[in-house]
Amino acid sequence: MTQKNRLASGGRIDHQRPLNFTYNGKALTGFHGDTVASALLANGVDIVGRSFKYSRPRGIMAAGAEEPNALLQLGATEATQTPNVRATQQDLFEGLVASSTNGWPSPENDAMGFVGKVGARFMPPGFYYKTFMFPQSMWGTYEKFIRKAAGFGRSSLESDVDVYDNINQHADVLIVGAGPAGLSAALAAAKSGARIILADEQSEMGGSLLDSPALIDGQPADEWAVSAIEELSSFDNVMLLSRSTVNGYHDHNFLTIHERCTDHVSDCAVNGQIRQRMHRVRAKWVVLATGSHERPLVFGNNDIPGVMLASAVSTYIRRYAVAPGNKLVLMTTNDNAYQAAFDWADAGHEVVAIVDTRANPSGACVEAAKSRGLKVIIGSAVIEAKGDKRVNGVLIAGIDEVGEKVTGSVEPYDCDILASSGGWSPAIHLSCHTGSRPVWSDEVIGFVPGETVQKQLSAGAINGSFSLESCLKEGTEQGLIAIRNAGFDIEDRSAPKTAPVNEDRAMALFHIPHTKSTSRGPKQFVDFQNDVTASAIELATREGFESIEHVKRYTAMGFGTDQGKTGNINGMAIAAKSLNKSIPETGTTIFRPNYTPVTFGAITGRNVGELFDPERYTAIHRWHVEQGALFEDVGQWKRPWYYPKAGESIQDTLNRECTATRESVGILDASTLGKIDIQGKDAREFLGRVYTNAWAKLAIGKCRYGLMCGEDGMVFDDGVTACLGENHFLMTTTTGGAARVLSWLEIYHQTEWPEMEVYFNSVTDHWSTATISGPNARKVLAKLTDDIELDAESFKFMDWHTGTVAGVPARVFRISFTGELSYEINVSANYGLAVWEKIMEAGSEFNITPYGTESMHVLRAEKGFIIVGQDTDGSVHPHDINHGWAVVDSKPFSFIGKRGMKRADCVRPNRKQLVGLKTKVPDAVIPEGAQAVNDFEQPVPMDMLGHVTSSYYSANLGRSIAMGMIKSGLSRIGETVYYPLADGRVIEAEICSPVFYDPKGERQRV
Amino acid sequence: MFDVNKSMQTVQMNLIPNDVSVRAETPLHHVDLATIATQGAQDRNIKIQELALLDHLVLRGHADNAALTTGIQSVMGVSLPINLQSVEKEGQVIRWISPDEWLITTPHGTGFALEQQLRNAISTHCAVVNVSGGQTVITVEGAGTEEMLRKCTPYDIHISNMPVGKVVTSLFGKAQAVIRRTGEQQFEVVIRRSFSDYCWLWLQDSCREFGFTVKL
Repeated sequence: MTQKNRLASGGRIDHQRPLNFTYNGKALTGFHGDTVASALLANGVDIVGRSFKYSRPRGIMAAGAEEPNALLQLGATEATQTPNVRATQQDLFEGLVASSTNGWPSPENDAMGFVGKVGARFMPPGFYYKTFMFPQSMWGTYEKFIRKAAGFGRSSLESDVDVYDNINQHADVLIVGAGPAGLSAALAAAKSGARIILADEQSEMGGSLLDSPALIDGQPADEWAVSAIEELSSFDNVMLLSRSTVNGYHDHNFLTIHERCTDHVSDCAVNGQIRQRMHRVRAKWVVLATGSHERPLVFGNNDIPGVMLASAVSTYIRRYAVAPGNKLVLMTTNDNAYQAAFDWADAGHEVVAIVDTRANPSGACVEAAKSRGLKVIIGSAVIEAKGDKRVNGVLIAGIDEVGEKVTGSVEPYDCDILASSGGWSPAIHLSCHTGSRPVWSDEVIGFVPGETVQKQLSAGAINGSFSLESCLKEGTEQGLIAIRNAGFDIEDRSAPKTAPVNEDRAMALFHIPHTKSTSRGPKQFVDFQNDVTASAIELATREGFESIEHVKRYTAMGFGTDQGKTGNINGMAIAAKSLNKSIPETGTTIFRPNYTPVTFGAITGRNVGELFDPERYTAIHRWHVEQGALFEDVGQWKRPWYYPKAGESIQDTLNRECTATRESVGILDASTLGKIDIQGKDAREFLGRVYTNAWAKLAIGKCRYGLMCGEDGMVFDDGVTACLGENHFLMTTTTGGAARVLSWLEIYHQTEWPEMEVYFNSVTDHWSTATISGPNARKVLAKLTDDIELDAESFKFMDWHTGTVAGVPARVFRISFTGELSYEINVSANYGLAVWEKIMEAGSEFNITPYGTESMHVLRAEKGFIIVGQDTDGSVHPHDINHGWAVVDSKPFSFIGKRGMKRADCVRPNRKQLVGLKTKVPDAVIPEGAQAVNDFEQPVPMDMLGHVTSSYYSANLGRSIAMGMIKSGLSRIGETVYYPLADGRVIEAEICSPVFYDPKGERQRV
Repeated sequence: MFDVNKSMQTVQMNLIPNDVSVRAETPLHHVDLATIATQGAQDRNIKIQELALLDHLVLRGHADNAALTTGIQSVMGVSLPINLQSVEKEGQVIRWISPDEWLITTPHGTGFALEQQLRNAISTHCAVVNVSGGQTVITVEGAGTEEMLRKCTPYDIHISNMPVGKVVTSLFGKAQAVIRRTGEQQFEVVIRRSFSDYCWLWLQDSCREFGFTVKL
């Protein structure tokens, strides 16, 4: 296909640099500088998709972010598929592959098209809700059909091959939009030396200046823009970001900018380059110079391909050298749109008529049109477009002065392109993101930013100041204000000069009357992307949806990627009229982030793969990896889970690790346990207040188990704390609870007891901890130290000593989580692996066996030791888990949780209590989480007694062991409960003591 | 090796072995900086160096307590920095961390003596804690360093907000770091041992578009 709509010269494209691309499998050509939309229009592609609900053919309507129809699927390969790309915002590049996202099997021949035309009357708003909801069992079927028919693209089935990243920026002033207002603001502010970011969504900065016929400071507007950008780029303090959409304006002047770094060059970024980058900007002041969007008029069949916005026609001609048709009819409510007809005529094409809805327009442009010999039909409107897959004519009729009734006869005219302009809607989206409510201005005929809630200014068309002169003036003024507000001195500067234009007042007209009522006439679209018609809005108001927010949700107006850019004001006007209210009385919907769609890649940035979340490693990690350990996530830590040998099942490994520990010696990397150094003369008293048990008498050189509760009396953490000096303690916490416990101590110190002289410091990462456990542990340690007395009298259970282990200064704690003779050897983590390797060497004659967290769980469960977070869940207090021995009510000062655990519910009978569970069939292992019942034949719902918290097979005992909660379990020792399982089995278990192994605790004291 | 401070009733230990043959591994040991240092052109923009195996002490105390400030002055010859500042003298650096917290780094092997001197010199409530095994210092310098670090931390590290000597504890990726500016395009980052692998990967990734080389 040739570029039949391409003008021979002109525009800001390079006619000498053709680019090949494919659209729906067809090979087409465009030029460097084209967008996909301008290239499609140049090639005469009319239909770019089918509409969402009625499946009507749709064409390109706009030239920028407001385009509702041309949402394409991009991507030459599966991995580079990108949905929801607006053809008007995507630069063309060599080899680009695009397809329409809507329309099945193709947009030209759509299976739903028939429904759309014939069934239109049967698809009122809420149609899908009303029709497809019942029977509910069919929803899955409906959904597939609806989704496929509705389209809007798909995501890739493969991993994205591109690299995205995030960067943090801090600006004194962020200026959004580089049109006349934004550029003037930046020029005014640049010399201050302040940090300025100027961001613009388009590939070329300049905004409306790029297709304006005006002169600024004697220069053509586009040339002025180029030199302004050149000047700005000479400032080190000014960051210019093009192809960068400010898509969200969040709290505290935090804004996100979505920069497309390589999307204009290739399908995927070349290796090493970033495809898209999210700038996370904290700005002191923000100047919104976001411009405005032209509003289409709402009239019969206003969605036929070939119906476009007036300004878009100008842009395609002046910027892209594309005239998408031959015979133009222009309908306008304002002077500004006349330019489209002038540009059309200048391009050498026929202007059939300019239809001005105003009864007596008198602006300069009307005179200009007349002097050009163009036909101007005043006091009239295009009430209906004709055509199927392309406009081929219009019906024009006289209308009354307020635009509510057709008054004259209806005349048909031939044309193949119809441009309409209902005026301009300020692009207030970002302002709305902040929660600032926009206010209606009758003069602007639109909403403008209302009272701001952040350090925000606005300039130009966003304020309804549409003329170029006022944009340049406001930009300059607001730029100076912003920079001064941000604390910088700067000299006044006068605004760039342009000739004022004599414009007549625009008419406030949104919905063109028809000879038939709205519901009986041809479809009149308001929101093209969501297929919302004027009659649908009227119906919604008749059905009782009076709030505009309800109308929005009922009709889907302003939903999705469109966010109501072209449709919201028209829709509100129609709703207001139908409700007999004014537009401000009807209110406005609030625009939400994001302004235009953002790829997930850009949001995620580098937080993918190995950078998704920190993985915390101990100093011994490499050794575990080399030993073939599998790892378990504990918080962010990677802990060895178990160390399988060739041919072992997990149970084989656990049996081997557990048996070796009980029979000889095992070794565990315990470095991940939280360690908090506590110093100060009140350290001991502080411990007494945060732990439930007593600390007043713990002697230097001794360790003690401590239990920590929240104010509610529920168990929160536990661990062993050692007394290092009279005013010096070392607390250990659970691995996952370390940060929380440190914060807890700080909170209580800083807010409740600031008078206490005590400091807490995390030393978790500083110490590397190797725990050796088993009857041969002493013999192993003896080989590694000559300055620590290890005999049972000198180094008792729950003592700690200092000495040299494997040549390295160490603190050794004789504490035990296995119930065996155990030593926890702590050294500076810089020597952790060296010492670990020496221990392995020394232990080899005793078959020292590394064990992971899974064996640790089995070994401690054999002893009935709890794990906070596994055997407790935030709803159990110490008495529930039979740890009343660790609660000392007689402490002179209170302790956290003391009152909480005495609440009525905490002391009532029949609370769930932690007990041991012994299955009747010894090798049956009850699944953790299984619920106990007294009578497994009781009909559902059964009376549930509590769940199993820990359950394992114990090789040492040759049977299964478990712990679980049972209502009043401590008084039911010896009784039987049943665990009915999902697979139909019922496991019978006897309630017992949770201490299955060495109940007198002799082994750890040897 | 082991010392109980009589007045404070706290315990200090020298954790560095007398036997110099015992292998020490910094938190970045597994990254194998030595090998990375041999890779790539030496003219890469960003230069990274680990200040390995420094001794690290955390000091806690009241900044407005004269007994603390004079104690520091007498031992280290500098005044205690406040409010995001740092001071440096003869290889010793004090970084303000929070209103009652400082990080002191001192050359390998000098930490235990310094710890004892500080405890003896400060006659008021304070804490001195050896955390040498738990963290390490990385320096990054060269053209583009500030821009690269903007990908690592949300803190405003522009020189107007973060002049040379300023120090801040902030996010580094999703981990935490103590970041200090030591030159116009020169920063120093203190990271925790268990997060060091993640922080290294993040740093290396952030450097990708600039190119980097490792100094030993």
